[in-house]
Amino acid sequence: MTMRPFQKTVDRLCEISRRGYTNPYEAIEWPESLPPDGLCTSPELISIYGTPTYDALTTEQRAKLSFFEAINFYSLNIAGEKPLVEGLASRLHKKRFESYSPYLHHFLDEENKHMIYFGTFCTKYAGRIYPDKKVPLGRREYAEGEEDFLFFAKVMVFEELVDVFNQRMAKDDRLIPVARHINFLHHQDETRHLVFGRQMVHDLFREYAPKWSPEALASVRETIAGYFSATWREYHNPQIYRDTGLSNAYAIYEEGFDHEASRARRRDVSSSCVKLLMNLEVLLEEPVV
Amino acid sequence: MSTEIRSALRAWVVRKNGKISAEQLRDDTPIIEERVVTSLQIMDLILFIEELRGAPVDVESLRGGAFSSINAIYAAFFAKEAA
Ligand SMILES: [Fe+2]
Ligand SMILES: [Fe+2]
Repeated sequence: MTMRPFQKTVDRLCEISRRGYTNPYEAIEWPESLPPDGLCTSPELISIYGTPTYDALTTEQRAKLSFFEAINFYSLNIAGEKPLVEGLASRLHKKRFESYSPYLHHFLDEENKHMIYFGTFCTKYAGRIYPDKKVPLGRREYAEGEEDFLFFAKVMVFEELVDVFNQRMAKDDRLIPVARHINFLHHQDETRHLVFGRQMVHDLFREYAPKWSPEALASVRETIAGYFSATWREYHNPQIYRDTGLSNAYAIYEEGFDHEASRARRRDVSSSCVKLLMNLEVLLEEPVV
Repeated sequence: MSTEIRSALRAWVVRKNGKISAEQLRDDTPIIEERVVTSLQIMDLILFIEELRGAPVDVESLRGGAFSSINAIYAAFFAKEAA
């Protein structure tokens, strides 16, 4: 099977993870408080950037908004990492993934550290983590390999999307150092997770998709496309605007979500991941984001 | 209060669905079962409910069927005894 060359890659990923092993309690210097006018999110990545509401904000309001955007972004990272850690743990030493188990340990360990970074920032500076609003859906029985495939495919979509944000913000010198650093640390680990994830999604799809019924395959495609929308729904959150002190938070949320500038941003950030999935024929058309 | 909330909820459903008319949507229409509201829209609906009630929805303690109709939503999130 296709596992041999992948095994080599996985061994190399383990090596890099060991070499770069970090103590999450020493990796970041946490200032006592944040400068009130400091930016925590790149303006272009703010959920309502480009809308009339954003244009009308004062500089102070924009800084405050960029802080709560970061709280939302870090919170949605935690919301994605919790089930990720669960899913990785449950696959440890399972036959299909046995030879990857050493890497799954690193993956788990690194995701746990990410939640420490994100969670510390949120609780220390905002006093809270925004709750996850995703509702688990009842569903039919899985076809062979479908659950594993969907798990890794969703992980890949999530990590690919988030990494675009991380990469851009790690490089953005308008941001305060701690915000840049969190994005940088996350991106560093994610480069390895993405190498692993892309190959995993490729292998599982090649192995199992031919065995699925047309209905099962269609449902898998629909689930992945839906996962894009669900993830983007979390990135737009009225709580951000409420905490920034703006009134009509839900109206701002709707305006922000439907605005052409937002659509363009969602398409832009999603495009590399969509391309990957279309090349693999996991998706046959671009999902609506 | 109750009628205002119900009509705000109905207006939201009609607007998001784009096909169903205000007359077709009753308070007991099974909106999830008949896919008037899709599973992907539930999160948005929760955010709208939060705005309407001025208080967060605790997703972790949601009971099954809480979104099944306008009546069910009202009972779960707006009736006096609703948490
Ligand atoms: Fe992570
Ligand atoms: Fe990751």
